[in-house]
Formats: sequence, structure tokens, C-alpha cells
Amino acid sequence: MNQAGSVGLIAAMAFAIYAVVAGVAGGKLRSVRITRSAGRATLAFFVMVTLAVVSLETLIFSNDFHNAYVATHSNRALPFYYKFAVMWGGQGGSLLFWTWLLSIYAAIAVLLNRRKNRQLMPYAISFMMGVGVFFSVVTFFGANPFKELALAAGGTTTPFTPPDGNGLNPALQYPAMMIHPVMLYLGYVGMAIPFAFGMAALVTKQLGDNWIRVTRRWTMVPWMFLGFGILLGGHWAYDVLGWGGYWMWDPVENASLLPWLAGTAFLHSVMVQERRGMLKVWNVVLVILTFFLAILGDFLTRSGIVQSVHAFAQSGIGDYFIVFLSIVVLFSATLLFLRLDFLKSENRLDSVVSRESGFLFNNWILLALVFAVLWGTVFPIISKAVEHKTITVGPPFFNKVAVPMGLMLLFLTGAGPLLAWRKTSFDSLKRNFTVPLVIGGLVGGVLFLAGVRNLYSWMSLFLGSFVAACVLGEFYKGARTRQRGSGENFLQAIYNLTARNTRRYGGYIVHIGIVLIFVGFAGLPFKTHAKGLMQEGDVLRSGPYLLRCDWLTSGDTPDYTYREATLSVLKDGKAFTTLTPQRRFYKASQQPISHVAIHQSLAEDLYVVLAGRDQGTGKDVIEVFVNPLVDWVWIGGAIMVLGTLLALIPSRAEREMAQIRQVQWEMLEEKNAL
Amino acid sequence: MFLGLVFVIAAALCVFVAYPLLSTQDDGKAVLPVDMTPAADLKRRRMVVYDNMRDLEFERQAKKIGETDYQALRESYRAEAARLMAASQELERGSAEDRFIENQVAARRARVKAAAPANYACKKCGFNNPVPVKYCGNCGSPLPKA
Repeated sequence: MNQAGSVGLIAAMAFAIYAVVAGVAGGKLRSVRITRSAGRATLAFFVMVTLAVVSLETLIFSNDFHNAYVATHSNRALPFYYKFAVMWGGQGGSLLFWTWLLSIYAAIAVLLNRRKNRQLMPYAISFMMGVGVFFSVVTFFGANPFKELALAAGGTTTPFTPPDGNGLNPALQYPAMMIHPVMLYLGYVGMAIPFAFGMAALVTKQLGDNWIRVTRRWTMVPWMFLGFGILLGGHWAYDVLGWGGYWMWDPVENASLLPWLAGTAFLHSVMVQERRGMLKVWNVVLVILTFFLAILGDFLTRSGIVQSVHAFAQSGIGDYFIVFLSIVVLFSATLLFLRLDFLKSENRLDSVVSRESGFLFNNWILLALVFAVLWGTVFPIISKAVEHKTITVGPPFFNKVAVPMGLMLLFLTGAGPLLAWRKTSFDSLKRNFTVPLVIGGLVGGVLFLAGVRNLYSWMSLFLGSFVAACVLGEFYKGARTRQRGSGENFLQAIYNLTARNTRRYGGYIVHIGIVLIFVGFAGLPFKTHAKGLMQEGDVLRSGPYLLRCDWLTSGDTPDYTYREATLSVLKDGKAFTTLTPQRRFYKASQQPISHVAIHQSLAEDLYVVLAGRDQGTGKDVIEVFVNPLVDWVWIGGAIMVLGTLLALIPSRAEREMAQIRQVQWEMLEEKNAL
Repeated sequence: MFLGLVFVIAAALCVFVAYPLLSTQDDGKAVLPVDMTPAADLKRRRMVVYDNMRDLEFERQAKKIGETDYQALRESYRAEAARLMAASQELERGSAEDRFIENQVAARRARVKAAAPANYACKKCGFNNPVPVKYCGNCGSPLPKA
């Protein structure tokens, strides 16, 4: 099975190398046959990587501890559903999994474009499979998950099979861990596809908005997965790490945020090129940057170059990534430079107060945010290289920089869609902004009177209500207008309005999700924390809550031993709920981990951690956090995903355009065949 | 066992990948078609402008945009659509070189016509042949040598 996996990987590598060469040849010679062969090699790459994945899964599920990867990351007592997670629990498996996801994306791209984009495809295949070559090489040579254990003694090595494995990292033994890494990887890896099409457009000089239209969906899908993955990661951190929060500007968290920010900029910026033929250089740069940051994210996560609570796999694969990232930067920058003449803007910016400049500000702020977060993330590496000591940049730096920028972006979320293209007069501004500003002002005033004095919280809620009013106003005005023309009822009008332009109204729903996430952020300054040593009968107070320790028990399972506290909670003197936080000690990996108990509500979460045992008194340490508005972050995230899914559905007009294009292509092919 | 299967599948895939190269269905002359001809590109850009105009009308009806902005934008969109339409027509009519060649041909034709003497006319049917011919272009009867 180990050999089968290795053979699968080597064959995959060979097909990928062939596809790169055949793609370039097919494009240069404009040969249908060579291009078709390159496309088939992409499918073959997918099949071979799949076989390698099947091999590894078989090894994991059959508890074959002769395999080094399985022995290090799995054990017999591990529940079967967590055995899937072993795949991404370590270095080699993760890289293989990445390669596999890439092969899926690439195969789908090839299948969907059999009769479309015939000029872009050969080069797009080359670039996709270039990334494929890199990942299969790193997996095979850098961290091969198919290595066998052997004992070296007296100059000879004998095969060795331990009776049981070391087990999966306990922090990963958590339900969301079954999908969180998958989502993140789908997000990271998927960015290779828009990158490949962007580069193919540069090579073929087809730099109109065709490549933009092709890549928009290919960017939206990974962007959605990445956003969802980040959110699940936050949720995991909140539930598992036991420090009462969901985001602490950890390098690995930042690494996932960076491509998401760049991708957000790209998704917005393309609209300006489609509408007005402007920002062409921006779009090429953004698609390259998004891909670069996705690979950088993988590098930071996987190489162990930065310290992180999320780094579950560390080893010396950094060199491979540094070489690959350098090639990406040099190659794409050179190509971009050579093609600058083809990227001239078709129009000029007419006015500062216009939709175009709104998008441009959006780009600049997102880019500034990317560089600020990137700087803070790699600063420890730079400081180590320059001054030979690691200086870590903490959350205060990130908050100071990111919060104002985030608020500016929040403002644009609402204001941008209300600006007219080209230029907006004062009259139009007055029409659109009066009502949202009044609503925002009212909410802000009420909050101020209610005692909200934290500037950032107040700003979040003030801007949030302004944006909500802007976006809901768009739906309301649009539906009203439809009703006047068609006599539909209001709900019908909303439905048809959305179906007619899924992209725009799906986008608005994503904006509503953003507002709700900021509502969640607004609760952060009001978080409270209490800590106490408890034994049965002791009480601990935190705000309106009174916790009484009823029982403390210990127990044993095949996988771990645990200690559990049963706490009855009173709120304002009345019985409220019972919480049972746990602290587990995993036997195989010899690691402890807290299982947090949370009472959730839309207003606030009561979050209780059994943090361990005090050595001196022998009492148990209980930590209590009261986290206001946290749940809105998760709700907002879910709404963002829904909005993105809606925007992915082709609208009526788009379907018609696609048909026209299809007919045109078919006519061209017929002409070609003559 | 599984290893053997992997080898078999890999070999099968090699055939699958190489097949298009060896196929004799086309003679190797088939070239990749262009994704977007200049004419299609102009048409598409015009479609985008029409889309913008539809949006603009909708925004006006939704009272999202002031009258002055509306007028100014509508004018600029119309001008752009007209420009693109003219460019499309120009393209259909052909490029400057094409027109130059057409003019040359027309001029030569006119010169030949003007130079055609009356004795190219057929004595039998009376048809005035435009160029020197041995036989009448209309009835086929031989003409005297010029």
C-alpha cells in the first residue's frame, strides 16, 4: 500500500509535468490535438492523486502503523470519524490533501472548458499543472506520507511496526475540525485557478474582460470556502482553546485572512473593468497577489516558521515554498511588465464621488490592510533575521491598524452601492444618503444615551445600522420600482429583482452578513473575565451570573481521562442553567485539553472553562467569560455564505448572454473546421 | 494487488493522454479558434453599455439618481453606444486597405468600360461586350478580330 501510494504520486507528477509542457506546446502551435492531450493529462493527474489518497486512507483505516505517518498521527482508540481528520492532521497528509483538492479543481476547470476559452485553456492548463507539479514534488520529496518505519541496528535496517500509534492531536479531535481544514484548503487551493486564467490571459494578450468573466466564479467559490473556513476556525478556537475569544491575530489566522482580503478586493475591482474598462492592471495584480498570499499562507502554516496555536505540522519544507514563491513573483511580475501596453485603461476617472472611485478606495484600503497584517505577521521572522531575536507583534498592533480600516470598509459596504457610476451630484447624494444617515444617527444617539461610550463599538453599531439601512433600502426601492411596472406583490417583486441580478443582490446579502459580523465585534470591549479556585459547594460571581460548583468528577475512556465540573448558574438570583466544563487528558499523545461549556444567546455567551488544577490548594481552576454579541459573528458568517451562493447562481440575463456566446463559439469552430 | 492496479491504471491513462496525439481523425491542421473576434468584442462592449443604460433607467425609476446626473449619464452612454455601433459598421464595411483596393478595382473597371470601343458590340445580337473577346458574351457567335 505504501508503494502504491508512492507510485501514484510519481505518476501524478509525471502527468503534471507532461501537462505543463503539452499546454505550452498546444498554445504556441495552436494545436487542438496537443491541447486535448494536455487536458487529458490533467484528468490523469487527478486520477493518480486520488489513488494516492485512497492508499493513505486505507493505511489509516487499517491501523497500519508500519507507515510512519499513520503511526505518528493516528491510534487504535481514535473514533473512526476522526480518522478522516488524520489525513490533514500532519504534514505529509495535508500536502497530499492539498494536491488532491488542486487536482479536483483543475479537472473541473478542464471539463467545463472543453468547448470554451479555447485560446486561454492551453496556458491555463500549464499554469494549473505547474502548481500541481510543485505540490506533488513537495509532497513526495518534502514530506512523503508513505514512508515506512524501520529500525537501524548494526548497519542493517529491519522493518518496524509499533503496536499502537501516537494519536491525533487532541485539539483536532473536535467536530468542526472535520470540515474546517477542508474548507480552508478548498479556499487556499482554489485560488490557483483564477491565477492560472489570469496568467493565461497575460500570455495570450487576451486582456479584455473575457478572462475576468471566466475567473469571477472561480474566485468566488474559493473565496467563499476560505471565508467559511476562517469562521469555522474562529469557532473552533472559541470552543477549544479556552481563552474566551475567537480571533487573536495569530500568524496562521492572519495567513488565512490575507488571501481572503486580496480576493475580496479582486471580486469588487473586476466590476469596474467589466463596466468601464478600467483598473485592468489592478485586477491582474490582485489575482496574482491573492494566489501568492494563498501559497504564502500554506507556507506559514506548514513550515513552522512562525509560532502559532494552529500549526499542527512543522518540518523542513520551507525551502521548497521559498523557491516556488520566488518563481511565482518573478515570472508573474515580468509577464505583467511585458504586457503593460495591453492593460491601458479605456476610460478615465470622471469624478472622486463615483462608484469607480468607491471601488478604488476599497482596493486601496484592502491592500493597505493586507500589507499591515502581512507586516505584523512576518515581523518576527524579519526581526530574527536582522537582529537575531524574535520580536512578536501582538494583538494591540493589529487592532490599532485593522479596526479603523475595517470601519472604513464597513462604511464603503453601504455607501459604495449608492454612488452612481462616473459621477454623483450632490442632489443624488442627498436622495440616497439622507434616510440611512438619519437611521444610523438615531441608532447611534440611542446607543450613546444607553451608555455605549467605547468609540469603536459605537462606530461599529452606528455604521452597521447605516449600512443595513442602505442595503435594505436598495431592496425596498428596487422592489417598489418593479411593483409600479408589473403589479407584482412586494415579495414577488423582491424575488424577481434578486433573480434578475443575483450577482448584485447576492452581494448585498453578503454585505448584510458583514454588518452582523461587525455587530459581533462591537461586543468585544464589553467582555468580562473572572477566575476562581473551586471545590464542591464553592461559588463564583461574574456580572449578573452566580456559579455554584455542585460536583467534581473524574472518569476514564479508551481515548482519554477527564475531570468534569457540574456548575449550576443563577442569573440575577434566579435559576438559569447548568454547565459542565471538562478537562481531558489524551493518553496516546499525552496532552491535556479543555472542553469549554458555553451557554449561548443572541445577547451574550456565558463561557466556562475548567482550566486545570491549582497545585498548592488542590482546587480546580474555573474561568468564566461573559462575551456579549458573539453569536452575531457566526450568524453574519452564515448569511455571507448564503449571499455568496446566491451570487453564484447565473441570473437570467447572464444565461442569455452565455447562450449567445456559445452560438458564437460554435460558429467559429465550424468556420475553423472548413 | 493494489500496487498492480495502480500500475495498470497509470498505463491506461498514458494511452488515454496520448490518444489525441495519435488520432487520425483530423489531419493535424485543426487550430484553436479565437475566443473573441474584434467584431464580437465590439458587440459585447455595446451590450455592456446597453446593460448600463437599463440599470440607469431603473435607478431613475427607483429615484436613486438625480435628474441632472441622469441626463448627463444617459448622454454619455448614448454617445458611447453610438461610437461602438459606428465602429461595428466600419468593421463590417471593411478596413481602410480593403476600401483602397475596392476603389482601385472600381477605377480600373471604369477605365476599361470607358475605353471599350463600339466594335466589341456583337453584330448578331447587338450586345455591347465590355472587354475585347473572340466570342460574344451574350449569344456566343464569333466576333471579328480587333
